[in-house]
Amino acid sequence: MKSALTRRWAALGVAAGLALSLAACSSADSGSTGSSSAAAAPSSAAAPVTSSAAEPVTITLTWWGGDARHERTQQVIDAFEAKYPNITVEPEYTDWNGYWDRLATETAGGNSPDVIQMDMMYLASYAGRGALYDLSSVSSLDLTTLDSTLLGMGTYDGGQYAIPMSATSWAILVNTDLLGQLGLSLPDTETWTWDEFEDFALSITTASGGTVHGTGPQINAYSLDLWARAHGDATFSGGDITIKPETVASYFQLALDWSKSGAMPTAEQYAETATAALDQSDFALGKLAMIFTQSTQGAAYAQAANANVQLVKIPTDDANSTKYAYLKPGMYWSISSQTKHPEEAGLLINFIENDPAAAAILGTERGIPANPAMVDAIQGSLTDAEKQAVAYAESLASVIGPAPEITPNGASAIDTALTRYLQDVLFETSTPLVAAQAFIDEIHQGIEAAQ
Amino acid sequence: MSLMELQALARDRKKAGPRAKEATPDNKAALVFLAPWLIGVAVLTVGPLAASLVLAFTNYNLLQPPKFTGLANFARLLSDTRLHHSLEVTFTYVVIGVPSALAVALLLALLLDKGMRGLAIYRSIFYLPSLLGSSVAIAVLWRLVFGGQGLFNSFLGLIGIDTQKSWIANPSTALGTIILLHVWTFGSSMVIFLAGLRQIPREFYEAAATDGATTWRQFRSITLPLLTPIIFFNLVLGIINAFSAFTQAFVVSNGTGGPSDSTLFYTLYLYQEGFGSYRMGYASALAWLLVVIIGAFTAINFWASRFWVHYED
Amino acid sequence: MKTETIIAEAGAGVTSGVTPTWTDLDPPPRRRPAWTRWAAALAKHLLMIAVSVVALYPVLWMVASSFRPDSEIFGTASIFPDSFNLDNYTAGWNALTKPFSTYLINSAIVVGGAIIGNLLTCSMAAYAFARLRFRLRGPAFALMLLTLMIPIHVVIVPQYIIWAKLGLVNTFVPVIAPKFLASDAFFIFLMVQFIRGLPRDLDEAARIDGAGHGTIFFRILLPLMTPALATTAIFTFIWTWNDFFSQLIYLTKPDLYTVPVALRSFIDATSKSSYGGMFAMSVVSVLPLVLAFAVGQKYLVRGIATTGLK
Repeated sequence: MKSALTRRWAALGVAAGLALSLAACSSADSGSTGSSSAAAAPSSAAAPVTSSAAEPVTITLTWWGGDARHERTQQVIDAFEAKYPNITVEPEYTDWNGYWDRLATETAGGNSPDVIQMDMMYLASYAGRGALYDLSSVSSLDLTTLDSTLLGMGTYDGGQYAIPMSATSWAILVNTDLLGQLGLSLPDTETWTWDEFEDFALSITTASGGTVHGTGPQINAYSLDLWARAHGDATFSGGDITIKPETVASYFQLALDWSKSGAMPTAEQYAETATAALDQSDFALGKLAMIFTQSTQGAAYAQAANANVQLVKIPTDDANSTKYAYLKPGMYWSISSQTKHPEEAGLLINFIENDPAAAAILGTERGIPANPAMVDAIQGSLTDAEKQAVAYAESLASVIGPAPEITPNGASAIDTALTRYLQDVLFETSTPLVAAQAFIDEIHQGIEAAQ
Repeated sequence: MSLMELQALARDRKKAGPRAKEATPDNKAALVFLAPWLIGVAVLTVGPLAASLVLAFTNYNLLQPPKFTGLANFARLLSDTRLHHSLEVTFTYVVIGVPSALAVALLLALLLDKGMRGLAIYRSIFYLPSLLGSSVAIAVLWRLVFGGQGLFNSFLGLIGIDTQKSWIANPSTALGTIILLHVWTFGSSMVIFLAGLRQIPREFYEAAATDGATTWRQFRSITLPLLTPIIFFNLVLGIINAFSAFTQAFVVSNGTGGPSDSTLFYTLYLYQEGFGSYRMGYASALAWLLVVIIGAFTAINFWASRFWVHYED
Repeated sequence: MKTETIIAEAGAGVTSGVTPTWTDLDPPPRRRPAWTRWAAALAKHLLMIAVSVVALYPVLWMVASSFRPDSEIFGTASIFPDSFNLDNYTAGWNALTKPFSTYLINSAIVVGGAIIGNLLTCSMAAYAFARLRFRLRGPAFALMLLTLMIPIHVVIVPQYIIWAKLGLVNTFVPVIAPKFLASDAFFIFLMVQFIRGLPRDLDEAARIDGAGHGTIFFRILLPLMTPALATTAIFTFIWTWNDFFSQLIYLTKPDLYTVPVALRSFIDATSKSSYGGMFAMSVVSVLPLVLAFAVGQKYLVRGIATTGLK
């Protein structure tokens, strides 16, 4: 009996130890949550570092992506190591889903990589929980090269927790080859309204006899936010979801109308490829003539569809009323608050962001560089599609407004939730307004739970 | 000592009287044989299991220390409509998928067990789907087969049913395609059945044949009873695995459980909560609810096994 | 007999599958009129061929796709390659930062360790559960089953912390060591069921003859458990070879990536990805599995019936 009891206590001890470990692993930064300046302070173990110190230092760089990105990033690492021989960079890469699972586990285990590729959806979740380092206190990183609006989208609660790597904008991508085959040409896309857009999309479906559909739906947090801003609303404010249910409902209604009229594929056809990768999408397979997408993906779609494409502006109901648009960081770089070498990590980010040698290697694989000097540096090597994306971003200047609030802590599942509720609407198991309210409630609860 | 001598010895013992019961339990020997498992349990299993149980009472976002929240997570279990929906999906999958896959596996194992030409090849071919497992290629292929323009509809067209229905994208049939995917990987259960069939001593059949028993009678009175431990194993594990089904739904729906949550399996929802939304405390509560559900089914299974599973010991 | 052979050959396309031992083993068929037997055999083969087609089709499609350019992969469900282009293979082999052989070797190390570990420790634990009487057997068995029921996603973080504290992340230890600690309850339970299916008279006789548990286990039961051991080895091979999550979490250095982690790294849903290369390398990575099964399957059926036990 005694031994059984001892075993039981031993088991309890292990459990308690683990629970404590969970606490300890995140405690390096727990005291600093909420206060941004304190969050920047490195943990006591981290020695003060002078930039490019002579002693050998190893830092870890992690990113998500496909094989092309892995190869180019490895080349950048090689170039960086050649320039700073005392710094060794260990890469860690995988696909999008695996990336966030791994990063969360590593961070929970106190084993976070030093330099982290970050996304807007997760930025506040990591920064708000003290997992990131305030970049403004890293002297080796030059933050002045970026446009302040864009840089502002890397801040959370007053701290600069991420630096945008690339900038992208929301656009309609048109397969002009398909239009040519159908004998159609684009209307004036500078001033077109949503009604004109739907009519044109419908004319494509009709002209093709239904084998090609005019357009896909727009369905992500970015486009919802633009829709809201164009209608005098905004998705987030004050760190919570504040968009009106009517605004979300009208956004859902748009897709429902298209689906019913035939401008867009049926709910079933759309759902079939809704989760497919870019290469498998209906646009890539020539079954859609237009899609809503980030302008910087145009080149990839053009290649996948093996067709000529054109980027055009998204419609507005009142062309000049609002400065609703903004450039969205495609992805960011962050430094982990668990790093022991913030200055070396800063050097690496600085190299990737601001060194023409790195820009020449990376090209536009991560999108159009956020640093305008880098865009100039690689101008000569841009493909036509990439030049289009750059020109498109410039053409938006007249409608660019202030930066939005970034996705709050706890709302990182907003895109998947939005897709789910849109499908409910399209399959008519829910009405736009009911789905809109449920969507807002779900996101709100997530944000609340994360406080 | 050869096996044959042993068996002879065993037969003598049996004739001599009822089986001798040892008075002493085998505690020491058990400790030796279980040593690796015990170390594993102590070091790798008990701690994380207990930790997850503790976390079920906390708000734990992976990045900050867990905060004790009492029964809040369990209260949410009651009102969480997505959870209730995922339970519905998972139960449907268990109730339809497990018996179908087992029936197919058992039938083919029985057919293959009776000698036939080329059976080594059949056996290997039947196992191929299980090899592909969670391959991304399967996700792509499933769409090509069960999509609106898919192969399945072409096949239906051949037999006179003309449809453009996208089986994989319609919320009412999407789950069915994943059940089919499960049945399609019947190879693992089939292999276990085959191995079990091979363990049935051949002399039983010889004796039965000498007595003039029909094939059906041999199946009823020899094959089936002697295979029950393996049928039981496949049933228990089939149910446990079906409740924990994750990979197939994850791959086919790219982790969303779509369309419209129609393939939102329990563990997929748990994963979305834990790793998608960083609510690991709630995910832990979900995990323990799952343990209770699976545990109940398994306990019922073990209880019922007394009435139909035949052990040699 | 003749029809049977012809159909078998037509269905399988290969002639080898004659296993003499097999036919020898079968219960002697009752005499029935010849035409009934032919009809039955024919029906059986037709069924087998139909199932084979369903089982084979996706594999053939994957192989065919590995020869297609990216743009053609998603458009067609045909299994007949229109071109025989090896570009995907050369490109896929070198697409990531290390040649694909690195990942194959890493997977082989992990799989090899896992098989040895599972065979040894799961069978030992199974013997204890199936044949020994000891205190807390019931609770211990329940605990073992419990480990099958708890989703990995809620225990991976605590487990990661243990390995991180031991400084063993980015070594093969976290993915191999658990197999040497009998952590795959599936196989323990499987072998328990097999051992319980073996007549107890055997080990009792040995025990009376003075044999200890070691002898009974190693000399008497293990040889009789060949099908269960083969099943364990093959399943361990396949499941470990395909296991993505734990290998993703514990092996973060590209030098240590295993096949499933490498395969996922080909694909990025938001940009143009090398699907052709991914398919080609998928084919390459399935080959060892097919070989393992082809070699291992004959042991699956070497049970008590083949040991000469009378």
